[in-house]
Amino acid sequence: MGDAFKAMTFPAVLAVFILFAGMLFVYFTHAVPAFHRFGIDVYLKNVWIAAENPEDEIYGVAAAIWGSIYTSLIAIALALPLSISYSIFVVDYAPKWLKNPLIIISDIMAGLPTIIYGLWGALVLVPFLREHVMKPLHEHLSFIPLFSYPPTTGYSYFSAGVLLAIMITPFASAIIRGAYSMVPFTYREAVYALGATRFEATRLLLGYIRPAIVSGTILAFGRAIGETVAVSLVIGNTFNMTWELFAPGYTVSSLIANQFGNAFIYEYMTPALYAAGLALFAIGLAVNLLGLRILGRWEENVKA
Amino acid sequence: MSRLNARKLKEKVFLACVGALTFLAILPLFHIILTVTAKGLPVIAERGGKFITGTLSEGGIGPAVAGTFLLTFLSALLGLPVAFLVGLYAYEFPNSTIGRWTKTLLQIMLEFPTILVGVFVMQVLVVPMGTYSAIAGALALAIILTPYVAVYTHEAMREIPFTYREAAFSLGLTRAKVLFRVLAPMAKRGVLTGVLIGLAKVAGETAPLLFTAGGLYESYPHSVTKPVGAIPLLIYQLVQSPSKADHLTAWGASLVLLLIFLGIFVPIRLSLREVKL
Repeated sequence: MGDAFKAMTFPAVLAVFILFAGMLFVYFTHAVPAFHRFGIDVYLKNVWIAAENPEDEIYGVAAAIWGSIYTSLIAIALALPLSISYSIFVVDYAPKWLKNPLIIISDIMAGLPTIIYGLWGALVLVPFLREHVMKPLHEHLSFIPLFSYPPTTGYSYFSAGVLLAIMITPFASAIIRGAYSMVPFTYREAVYALGATRFEATRLLLGYIRPAIVSGTILAFGRAIGETVAVSLVIGNTFNMTWELFAPGYTVSSLIANQFGNAFIYEYMTPALYAAGLALFAIGLAVNLLGLRILGRWEENVKA
Repeated sequence: MSRLNARKLKEKVFLACVGALTFLAILPLFHIILTVTAKGLPVIAERGGKFITGTLSEGGIGPAVAGTFLLTFLSALLGLPVAFLVGLYAYEFPNSTIGRWTKTLLQIMLEFPTILVGVFVMQVLVVPMGTYSAIAGALALAIILTPYVAVYTHEAMREIPFTYREAAFSLGLTRAKVLFRVLAPMAKRGVLTGVLIGLAKVAGETAPLLFTAGGLYESYPHSVTKPVGAIPLLIYQLVQSPSKADHLTAWGASLVLLLIFLGIFVPIRLSLREVKL
């Protein structure tokens, strides 16, 4: 039957699906030479030897994958308390005149061009962190392995993690705040009727939205792992696979941003970068699907 | 009695912590706005109108400003029609298999690492054409724009009360007429908001332009098949330069970019309740 609506909209839907499948296909086919040449080592080893002679080229992007995950974990660890506090404050405690401005500020932060975060991070945040956080920690606590790397330039996993935390806090808090304000009002009434203090009430209500907090965290992690320009400006861009917070590092996206431009000179560098991109693709996809699934289930439960 | 005091004390400490952390969470924005203004304003003031219109060697960012507008316009041209239709489809068939997949796909694309989009477009457009171009940059931006606008369209449509749907269908209109002539115009405001927020977003994107737009800062763009500059891309290149003068230009360019972003974003945000980012 001639459904004109379907006839008009379906091609657009199909185009988006084909585009997505096309992206996966392009990444996979261009990564294949790297898999043939290096096998699984391209993900497990930390080497980067570019050579004119293809025989001498060896690439393993383990350090970049590690960097992506590590910086995102640091970012989550810092962003979580901030975004939960922010959500509680906006929903429960902020006076009425302050609520809307706070939400608008958070939205602006979430949408602010990432290059502005990058510029500010590289020229303002990193020098500040090096002088006032990294140096004191290194001087007094360098027996703890986390702080043992000397913070000479300041460009490091730590700087990238802090900058990412600032960038994803508004994003995580948008999800957590949404969930927190969805808690039925009768629950609040009931808790306060029992004589709970505001601290006890909040703790109870937070338990109620725990799945939403988990999924907000996962989605924020997904956003952090894909960030490119801001991270590449503050992480130092060095192959360094370590826990040490103040060591410079690499992430998959900053590796691609830095190396892709001249990778075509070498035979296997482009495939290796596509392999790295494919890994980022896969991690991002898995993380986002998981986060959306948990959030979707929780929302269904609340509405039911 | 002492037990009660301990509880009260805990509450006080808790409230102080929450307040302090909230303050800490939004502090960076103020610091960023103040720093960008404090460092960018003197640069712009010193170089005057030339900063906005001149080429890079004249100490201006004119071609980058023109490039950003060109890229944003082209990406809207490419992305908006598709996004609007996809959003309508997801609204109309929420329970069909394809409708559900469409929704999930949009959510995934919303979160997608933008650098991967840039590399993809480089492979399918820049390599065959043999040159960076405005059209490649615009395509990359359009891929990022589409899910935003589609999700907003979808949300805006869902807010229309069901009775309007019933009424329209009971008049004997076809599905196409109901959606395009009756319901879509009712959601105009919400859709428009999504379009503007999407445009504000892509105007500030850098990563997808790295390997697609190429950069052009010594002359104004004159062809869509030739390389083009953009303000974010220019800032990215200037920050990496060791020269202090380049950093100054970067601060000035950031202030311009910040003003463009706030100029689009804040009015929309003030006239609207919620924003999904």
